[in-house]
Amino acid sequence: MSKPAERINMGDAKKQAISMIRSYDGPPVRIMEVCGTHTHELFRLGVRGILPEQVTLISGPGCPVCVTPPDFIDAAVWLALEKQVTITTFGDLVRVPGSRDSLASARGKGAKVEVVYSPQDACTYAKEHPEEDVVFLSVGFETTTPSSCLALEQAEREKISNFSLLTANKTMPEAYKMLQGSADIFLYPGHVNAIAGNAVCQQLCRQGISGVVTGFTAAEIVTAIAIALSKFKEGKPFFVNAYPRVVKDEGSPAAQALTDKYLEPCDTIWRGLGEIPGSGLRLKEEYASFDAYRRYAIPKMEGKTSPLCRCGEVLQGKCRPVDCKVFGKGCTPEHPIGACMVSGEGACSAYYQYGGVIK
Amino acid sequence: MCVGLPARVVNVKDGRAVVDASGAQKEISAQLLEDLEPGDYVMIHAGTAIAKIGSDDEEETAGLLDALL
Repeated sequence: MSKPAERINMGDAKKQAISMIRSYDGPPVRIMEVCGTHTHELFRLGVRGILPEQVTLISGPGCPVCVTPPDFIDAAVWLALEKQVTITTFGDLVRVPGSRDSLASARGKGAKVEVVYSPQDACTYAKEHPEEDVVFLSVGFETTTPSSCLALEQAEREKISNFSLLTANKTMPEAYKMLQGSADIFLYPGHVNAIAGNAVCQQLCRQGISGVVTGFTAAEIVTAIAIALSKFKEGKPFFVNAYPRVVKDEGSPAAQALTDKYLEPCDTIWRGLGEIPGSGLRLKEEYASFDAYRRYAIPKMEGKTSPLCRCGEVLQGKCRPVDCKVFGKGCTPEHPIGACMVSGEGACSAYYQYGGVIK
Repeated sequence: MCVGLPARVVNVKDGRAVVDASGAQKEISAQLLEDLEPGDYVMIHAGTAIAKIGSDDEEETAGLLDALL
């Protein structure tokens, strides 16, 4: 393309990006939005409606609630019902089905489940209720994990001994490698990179995996897609940070150090993807007293999902939510069968909420 | 859960900050960011300020597209 005579005006950036997307005339391309927040924003903003025929958007596994396996929910329900532990959690997890019960249905059997805004609020709850054993359900990717570590730091500092974490924290690098055949370009989740930095994505680019770090406003999302399409036409692997106002190459060294202080890598199971070696985080031995698994000697859980549910394939981009037999029939946000319908960031929930804008 | 809420810092004290997001004020953790000052804009996630926000999204995307053309 030739250099334009004048710079793009700020107000025209969105229009320019949309025009670039609409006029894309390159080869067929599959773009995976890794982050659940992007999935919902793409629908909400109507971005799917402006894509040319040969551009396909695939929803990836970047919703921590969706990839949390059912045995984690089973363990939380067991703690609440068998050990009379108070479960503190982000609200998204409450209605995720376990093998038999969700935390919501366990409430009906006497489970005490408190929804909190942050892990530190869970720790403060424990401090204010010394007569209760309090466990926080620590799920999330690189973005969320440091907040759980801040709660541990608070518990250590203030000697809050009735507080522990049930961890299912995950990291993205190994998942990207597993998903590399599922898409041609990743829209990387901006807030994961804000913490973890860009080194992993730059390394993936050297291995032939292309991607663009993407922000969350309309201007940022359409710009990232316009950049992705423009670069894809050049035929070489690429990496672009299209969210530099928040994401720096080094990420957040303070957050990385905090995570490294308390947690270490482990193998972990992702709902739908199976076990991905080195993609989980667990508490280090010296913090065992904060580890609900060790503290309560949680037995192995059943971890059974409905055979009708295709969340696993949805999470890998192998099928669309609308290809699942129970989507919108047996499985709705009011009566979810799979985690992708429960979570506010799940692909099934987005397809259901914005039905009719399906591509 | 990657949701981030941009907010303006109202005051900072002892690793905590009060932020203002479209008129709603909330106390959050500011432990991950150094040199935070009132008036700074930050991205909030799960009760923690995870990053300072450098510029406006329109300004930034205009610059990115400029670089592409």
